[in-house]
Amino acid sequence: MRKLNIFRAGKLTVAVTALLALAGGFVGVSAAAASQSAAHPVSAVSGETFVIGTDTTFAPFEYRKDGELTGIDMDLIREIAANQGFTVEIKSLGFDAALQALQSNQVDGVIAGMSITDERKLVFDFSDPYFDSGVQMAVAESNTAITGYADLAGETVVAKRGSEGETFAKSIADEYDFTVKSLADSATMYDDVKAGNSVAVFDDYPVLAYGINQNNGLKSVTEKEQGSSYGFAVNKGQNPELLAAFNAGLADLKSSGDYQSILDKYLEQPAPAAASGFFGLLTDSLPALMKGLGLTLLATGLSILIALVLGVLFGFFKVSESRLLRGLASIYVSIFRGTPLLVQAFFFYFGLPQLTGQSIDVLTAGVLTLSLNAGAYMTEIVRGGIQSVDPGQTEAGRSLGLSYVTTMRRVVLPQAVKIMTPSFINQFVMTLKDTSLLAVIGFAELTYQGQQIYASNFRTGETLLIVAALYFIVINLLTMLSNKLDKRFNK
Amino acid sequence: MSTSAITNTSASSKISVRGLRKSFGSNEVLKGLDVEISEGEVVCVIGPSGSGKSTFLRCLNKLDQHSAGTVIIDGFDLGDKTVDLNEVRQHIGMVFQHFNLFPHMTVLQNIMLAPVELKKESKADARATAVKLLDRVGLADKADARPAQLSGGQKQRVAIARSLAVNPDIMLFDEATSALDPEMVGEVLQVIRDLAAEGMTMVVVTHEMGFAREVADRVIFMADGVIVEEGTPAELFGNPQQERTQDFLSKVL
Repeated sequence: MRKLNIFRAGKLTVAVTALLALAGGFVGVSAAAASQSAAHPVSAVSGETFVIGTDTTFAPFEYRKDGELTGIDMDLIREIAANQGFTVEIKSLGFDAALQALQSNQVDGVIAGMSITDERKLVFDFSDPYFDSGVQMAVAESNTAITGYADLAGETVVAKRGSEGETFAKSIADEYDFTVKSLADSATMYDDVKAGNSVAVFDDYPVLAYGINQNNGLKSVTEKEQGSSYGFAVNKGQNPELLAAFNAGLADLKSSGDYQSILDKYLEQPAPAAASGFFGLLTDSLPALMKGLGLTLLATGLSILIALVLGVLFGFFKVSESRLLRGLASIYVSIFRGTPLLVQAFFFYFGLPQLTGQSIDVLTAGVLTLSLNAGAYMTEIVRGGIQSVDPGQTEAGRSLGLSYVTTMRRVVLPQAVKIMTPSFINQFVMTLKDTSLLAVIGFAELTYQGQQIYASNFRTGETLLIVAALYFIVINLLTMLSNKLDKRFNK
Repeated sequence: MSTSAITNTSASSKISVRGLRKSFGSNEVLKGLDVEISEGEVVCVIGPSGSGKSTFLRCLNKLDQHSAGTVIIDGFDLGDKTVDLNEVRQHIGMVFQHFNLFPHMTVLQNIMLAPVELKKESKADARATAVKLLDRVGLADKADARPAQLSGGQKQRVAIARSLAVNPDIMLFDEATSALDPEMVGEVLQVIRDLAAEGMTMVVVTHEMGFAREVADRVIFMADGVIVEEGTPAELFGNPQQERTQDFLSKVL
């Protein structure tokens, strides 16, 4: 059993706690480890809490409605959990990320409309199949040229990376002479087809059917192919009792008819998409976006504080007389400036737990990434600031008999800080924007929330405009505030 | 304080330099200097650019560390690592070519900084001292001005007041008037002249030959990292012995 604990942040604990208090309700959700009072255990896992990874959006299996995760997979895992007396904590990570998280034991199980394949069976243990899927092709609504596979000659199609659709498309690509481009999620694929970058999409038929019913601008033109089955997965050899409980619960739901009603709810009666105007979209999405914005600011605030400490520390190392300290600071800077932020985020969230065997929560991994990265830039800002103060200032201080420390504190630093402030403000803004990269590890900040919203309503352009506007407003307000403080204190 | 005071220098010697060498990388700029300066003596150092005058001066308070030889100031051996350099430096005031006033402080704060930080004086006492020093250099009305609001000559007079605030018994002047407009040279030289008259031990690197001739007890002529010739102003200016000295003086006088 592993309880998700956002406070398990090692050295970050104090700062995290303080800022969590400030951030108030924003993070309450992730920290809520449900307390379970199962008086009568009905299975081996009764009373335990499992962390379950899933895709960000794979409607109708998982998607967000009014900010809440819903869909066939979600209903199924929750009802099975209730049936078997355990608690689940759902982590919406994205398909690739969820599988990586499972392999690194960041999550206990994954339910994400995942096809059971021989290849995956090598690394995961699968439950009994809970859904028989199949691949279908769709094209843009206005497209009349493509009516079958034969019309694809010379064209490009899209499929979801690592999915059944991709496997199928590739298997017939040579025969029909088309190219397969792999993308990470359904919404992106649909937009790609609508934008005309590719002519058709191969996706699982329930997903396509749901999207088409939500007016996503596509239509299906072929019958579905006989496909594989979806299964719930645990890491190879891990959590056998969870797998057994899933199978037992699934069997119960099937015999009680609850299973069929879940499927019907999502596949048989697709609700006609309420085509609300822009302001309807704004009102609907704002609560989730504000929640995301809160996390964005929390991650930014924590990261900048830690980066400042790192930057001052290593910045002083860089101007120190000790070769060792200068070398240390140089290595630190070159590592974090010399590798992409995205790679660092993947490393801290997925790579590090595999190396250490110690799992890490997404906020800690995100803040670790951003603060170490920004710290490297801060180091250079501090070094540059100190070195840009005329050496004559230090000489004057020292010639008066003041110590190195006093000279730094009273003479050099007050001038250096003034020089550094605009760069600090710049770094602050950069870090705030960099938080959007944490969406890839499933950190529920502003960009992530936006992705969630357009993934289920397919209104990509408008949603991204709202997201961009929120960033724009917040960043400009903070910049104005910083400049005001700068003017006031650095006259 | 007198942890490492050395007794084997002549009693009257305030500054004792022997075999002083200084290299920057492979470039040797001081090639063995021997200088004794006694209390109350005013020594002017002249010579062409790049002769090592400023480096020599900076070795006297260890802003530059000498590569070889000994430098003994007030009995403290600057080569001895156990000597408290900050303590020694309070005995030696230094005035720079480019003033190096602290731009983020007022004139008064510039002068008070060292006495207060070194806990030599209370804030109130330091302020009183600073006001007195400012008066002495003729700038009592500039106490609350920022360095940026002062002329070059005024800045340099504040810089002198600042180094006097820790009550040094030696003053080093590193081309103190070279960065000044000609009409401001006089006011700064006057302050230095007054200090000389009060008996301060001084080493003055200068291009002002007239001033050197008037104020110095001794003039040292340096070229290429060595002392070519030294003597009283009358000797050195009136009857230089070395060809290099004659050559230099013929160009500047």
